[in-house]
Amino acid sequence: MQSDDATPAASGYTEAHVSEALATDPRVATLGIEVSIRAHDVFLSGDVATAERKEAVAEVVAELLPGYTVHNDTSTNDFPPGVETEHLS
Amino acid sequence: MIRIAAAGDVHFGEDSAGTLQPYLDDVADCADLLVLAGDLTRCGSAEEAAVLAKELDGLPLPVFAVLGNHDYHDDQHREITHVLEQHGIRVLEGTGEVVTAGGKRVGVAGIKGFGGGFAGACGTEFGEPEMKAFIRHTKDRAARLEAALAGLEADAKVCVLHYSPVEETLRGERLEIYPFLGSYLLAEAIDRGGADIVFHGHAHAGAEKGVTPGGVRVRNVAQPVIGTAFKAYCLGDDGHDDC
Repeated sequence: MQSDDATPAASGYTEAHVSEALATDPRVATLGIEVSIRAHDVFLSGDVATAERKEAVAEVVAELLPGYTVHNDTSTNDFPPGVETEHLS
Repeated sequence: MIRIAAAGDVHFGEDSAGTLQPYLDDVADCADLLVLAGDLTRCGSAEEAAVLAKELDGLPLPVFAVLGNHDYHDDQHREITHVLEQHGIRVLEGTGEVVTAGGKRVGVAGIKGFGGGFAGACGTEFGEPEMKAFIRHTKDRAARLEAALAGLEADAKVCVLHYSPVEETLRGERLEIYPFLGSYLLAEAIDRGGADIVFHGHAHAGAEKGVTPGGVRVRNVAQPVIGTAFKAYCLGDDGHDDC
């Protein structure tokens, strides 16, 4: 989404508000997602459990910050097959 | 040799069915028991726990779990425990149990734990009621953990937590949030009660390996840390690769 001059500027508290929303919105309910806002761009990183939750991350932020461009760089748990083993003597 | 499969922070939701089971098909080939280090659910609902319980149904090895902070979010931790126990999963909260694995008696004790921080940068039981309650909660959990570990009569003792007992396994997390990720009081309890290995989760950006001041090895098995669905740990490895 393209922002325009009508889009409110982020305050010094906006990143904290986004983090709070991602933790408490039941669609995401994930702590520890890194949020960085530069002008009207929101950058998100960290891990979420499923692809559905990754989509929800972008939805929640878009709803909270209309007019901002959301860069959803969160990762999902796509684990490799096989078992890694640590041997402890 | 005792073989333990461990994972933390599976964060199951109603959208998670089928995401873990494929990785568990051969778990019995590399482990004698499975431990889950808390944050079993996303929002802490019994429905989410039921999805996980079905995923674990029929595993041919004992499964132990502790709850995490997410599992308390909807105030349904008792229901979550009930759902899991109905499916044969042993949910530990200041309790322990001994099972036979690898021909040895393996004691497993666990508790969620709590925060408070680490020596030199920790909360104390002083000041406002809320602050005192915070640290009292950690002290209470640490005391229960110590008693559970001390009560195990076993050849080897495994400790399962959600919160971290040491700083080493938090490296990678922001220093400012360490007090919300664990407490030295848990390590002190482990060193007093005795354990051969400790598993915890909670710190997704942390590191895998640490050790308590008393020399007990600690592993952060949060899935984002180990990068796999679960990891196997062989204790008392005699050099024969049976894992």
